[in-house]
Order: sequence, then C-alpha cells, then structure tokens
Amino acid sequence: MSTANPSNAHDSLIEYRVDRILEEANTDTRIVVLARQDSAIDTFPIWVGAAEGNAIKLALDATLTPRPMSHDLIRSFAEHLNVIIQRIVIADVKSSTYYATVHVYNKGVERTIDARPSDAISLALRAHCPIYITQDVLARRSSTNLDAWLAKIDSKDIGAPEVQET
Amino acid sequence: MITQMHIKGLMFDPYNNAYIVVLRDEEESEMLPIWVGKSEAGAISMAMENVTPPRPMTHDFMKSFLDAYNAKVISVVITDLSEHTYFAKIHLMYEDSEYTVDARPSDAIALALRCNAPVFANDTVITKQSSEELEQWLENLKPEDFGKLDS
Repeated sequence: MSTANPSNAHDSLIEYRVDRILEEANTDTRIVVLARQDSAIDTFPIWVGAAEGNAIKLALDATLTPRPMSHDLIRSFAEHLNVIIQRIVIADVKSSTYYATVHVYNKGVERTIDARPSDAISLALRAHCPIYITQDVLARRSSTNLDAWLAKIDSKDIGAPEVQET
Repeated sequence: MITQMHIKGLMFDPYNNAYIVVLRDEEESEMLPIWVGKSEAGAISMAMENVTPPRPMTHDFMKSFLDAYNAKVISVVITDLSEHTYFAKIHLMYEDSEYTVDARPSDAIALALRCNAPVFANDTVITKQSSEELEQWLENLKPEDFGKLDS
C-alpha cells in the first residue's frame, strides 16, 4: 500500500468505461469490454469469472437487488467511514493477469488498495468513479488483434437465445 | 437475545442447486442453516480452509479496505429472516465510534472469518428455523450430499 500519485509520463492514465459484458459460450467466464472514454476508438477486454462478470453487469444495468451485493457493501463501508473512492486504475499486467488499484481518499490522504480488476470495476460503477488504464499496461497488452477477435465474437450474437438453423 | 454461532460446515443442496452454511451454537443444541449461492459459498469456504489465493478475492479486498482505515470488524449478527432471506449486521469500530452496516449473511460471514470476528444470531432467527420441514429435509440428505468441509 502506498500513497504515491502516478505522475511520470510512463504511468499516464487513459480513461475507459465499461462498454459491455460478453458471455463466453460453454465456459464459466465473462469478458468485460472496456472502451476508451475519449474520441479515440479502442476496446480493452478483460476475462473474469462468471460471478465477477455478473457483479459488474448488475452495476452496469443499474439493477436494484433486494439485498446489498458484496460491492454495495464495500461502498457502504466507504460511506460510513467517509472515504471517497476516487478512481480505479488497471496499473499492471504480469503473466497475462491484470492488476488494479483502488484509489481512496479521506482527510487529505490518498491511499491505494490492491485489487483484482473485476472488484475494482464493480466498485467503480457503484461509486461512479472513473476507470483508468495506464499507458504502460496498454502498451504491454497482448499483440493479437483483439478488435478483430471481438468483432468475430459479436457476429456470433452472444447473449441471444440459441436458434436451431433449419 | 443473541447467541454466538460457529460455522460448522458447508454443504451442497442438490434440490435447490445452492449451498448451505451450517451454523451451530456452542453446545451444538441449535442449528442455523443459511442458503447461499455458489460464489458466496466459495468465498466462505476459502476462508474456512485458510486458502490464500494468488490475488485478493472480493472479501480479501473488503478486508484490505477496512484495514487501510484501521476499521475493525467487532462482530456480525444474523438479525432477521423474512421471505427466506436473511439479514445481517456488521458491527465496525472506527476511530472510537461504532458503526452498524447492513449486509447479506454470506458477506458478513465471509468477512467475519477473515477478520476472526465472532458471528452471532438473533434467537428469533434460530427459533424460526427449527421447523419440522427443515429437520426432515436434513434427515433425507444422503452422505454424498455433504461436502468435505462438513464436520
């Protein structure tokens, strides 16, 4: 845990938003597709577990649940402690695993808490705080053509009921 | 009145495709089963088995958040049961003040296990659960329905 504020150019931040959640057919995973917030066109997919994907989807759709879900509880803790969730940053990638930090602020002090991107994003949507990816992570992501891959996924019309072709 | 409960185990409920967290009191005279979802059961089971995942799971992150502010989980209380949904309260100590936060029992238990905080249940909740229907249901459970965590 540190209170360092990313300042050098290498760590400069680009804002993204959650564009959509894709269900991967036949696996227990979801793909969280982040899209660049400014006019530049770029998508950034993150593979997460089904439960994590569902937690993000609930927040994305602003679904009201009868009882507070886990990330609603974290937000509730923040409110009770007068802690502001300022932003989340996808700050590192090691062995194809993304690492996120949640930046929290209280009484003039900013702290960062290590988190999985799924928890960080789930919380960001509930706390209405921005989602950033560092330039460094963007530069180091997989070199395969993700946009083409996503286009292919989209063409399969994921999420629609399966229809038997006759 | 509240009674301290111990988390005895987790078992799979094949009829409802859900998991049951089994709580018992000190004398093991009372039992409180709580139905939870698969991911919630996973969060509880990891804490019971003292598994340290490579990355912080949701409740590990929740604890990190509280630790960052030196907020302590004093206790959690399973407070109410209505329409088959349990309600819980998490009691926090932060800067000499106590805070009570509304939560689902699954989150409260998953957090309590990580913070070594005691779990209590309102006596009204325990009474409500000692129904014949439940006992019968438990009697009909086959040994293979019990997970390895059950003691």
